[in-house]
Amino acid sequence: MSVPKQPLNQRVLKYVITFLIIAGSLWSASGLEITPERFLTAPSKVWILITAMFPLDLSQEAIDRIVPKVGESLFIAWAGTVIGAFFSFPIAFLAANNFSLNTFSRVTKQILNVIRAFPELILAFVLLPITGLGPLTGTLAVGIHSIGTLGKLSSEVIEGIDEGPLESIKSSGGSKLNELFFGVIPQVMPTITSYWLYRFEINLRASAVLGVVGAGGVGAELINQLRFRDFPRAGTVLVVTIVMVLIVDAISAAIRRRIIKGRDIKV
Amino acid sequence: MLTVVGYPFALFFSIFSFFQVGFNIDDFKRNWENRKLVTDTLFDPKWDWAIENASLALLETIQIAILASILGCFIALPLSFYASRATNQTTFTYVVYKSFLNFIRTIPDLFWAMLFTVAVGLGPFAGVLALVMFSLAIMGKLLSETIDSIDLGPLEAAKASGAKHTQAVFTSALPQILPNFTAYFLYIFELCIRASVILGLVGAGGVGRIIETQRIFLRFDRISPIIVLILIAVIAIEQFSVWLRRKIL
Repeated sequence: MSVPKQPLNQRVLKYVITFLIIAGSLWSASGLEITPERFLTAPSKVWILITAMFPLDLSQEAIDRIVPKVGESLFIAWAGTVIGAFFSFPIAFLAANNFSLNTFSRVTKQILNVIRAFPELILAFVLLPITGLGPLTGTLAVGIHSIGTLGKLSSEVIEGIDEGPLESIKSSGGSKLNELFFGVIPQVMPTITSYWLYRFEINLRASAVLGVVGAGGVGAELINQLRFRDFPRAGTVLVVTIVMVLIVDAISAAIRRRIIKGRDIKV
Repeated sequence: MLTVVGYPFALFFSIFSFFQVGFNIDDFKRNWENRKLVTDTLFDPKWDWAIENASLALLETIQIAILASILGCFIALPLSFYASRATNQTTFTYVVYKSFLNFIRTIPDLFWAMLFTVAVGLGPFAGVLALVMFSLAIMGKLLSETIDSIDLGPLEAAKASGAKHTQAVFTSALPQILPNFTAYFLYIFELCIRASVILGLVGAGGVGRIIETQRIFLRFDRISPIIVLILIAVIAIEQFSVWLRRKIL
């Protein structure tokens, strides 16, 4: 018994993809002058760095410096997410094609795309001369970027709603505003809130690196300690950041699950 | 509980955060006069300079993203099978792989880049390693969750006809997730292109290096055309990946 052959175009596609992947990586590796030896020696070099970090610098002075910085990253991420949520919510209704005029929705979506295209770091250093060195710049950068991403996600949620409740409100004499408040918002709120929290988790990582350009947060601390070759303290920065991210992720994931699945009802 | 405690807490924490990050109208007004520093130069792009100096670095950025996303995703492929309940019955190894993937996901991409520049030296190789970790983390999470939800029937059928565990996974689980793998790969490739732009800010190669040197001198007239070039490249690559996704899936 022979196995039936795949259709010809699928087989060709498979070879083309394999070729693309191999050719792409070879072209990139040769362009970057990366040889296999570099990959083989990399783990030992990383190991040297890791061993240099331990034992961690847990002196009172180090903790007093690092923990507020990690906290600052947390506040930047939260405040940025609040800015993003606050502005993206109405914008999402403008961008949803079942709620706003067709041309209006298309224009708003394009604006959101452009906002989303700029990484937070680039926004941060463009804002830096205006808003000054410090967490405010980071907050605004994170906030502006979040408006783009949350606006897109929320508008997609609004576009995907069930029209039934709206119709029943309309048929019982409700106004357009009643439809919005009693038909749309209760439907979309759980998903949109969970997107806000999800964005907060992403923003937390983004705000941690913003310090590299001087926009506040723990990033500046890490890059300075690495530059001064103070590896134990750099290790402390890393560990504190990781612990904070893990805790926040766990809390946020638990709340998201609760929002989406609802309360457990015991029968 | 959530409504009684949650909403007031969220509100309180928001107000507290805004105080912490220093929303201060007076400072804002004072700094607002500095805006000319940015706006005068930002909208006066020096195209010739950017094309002459940044195109090679931009190519380097794209190469970093290609190599790193391919390596990261293909390293993640076997790991994900170990990090899923459906294909790994041994609790110990499952927990080890799952926590490993969760752990590398907590470190932001630029932190990886900083660490690797210290460990292996400045240059694009550090950037490649950073993005390998970045794509490994995302692919590991997405793929292991996909494997969790595969149809277990074929796996059981393969085992019933005498296949070893590895063989069963290869013949029955792998084909089920390959379409998802391809879709995730293209998505991660796009993320890597975006992430690789900023790697240069910490010395890990690519176009960010040029942005960093011009940024320090506030030469926004040179940065803005570079940003536009990056946007064009990113959008072109995204369009290509959308086209490829439609072609394959």
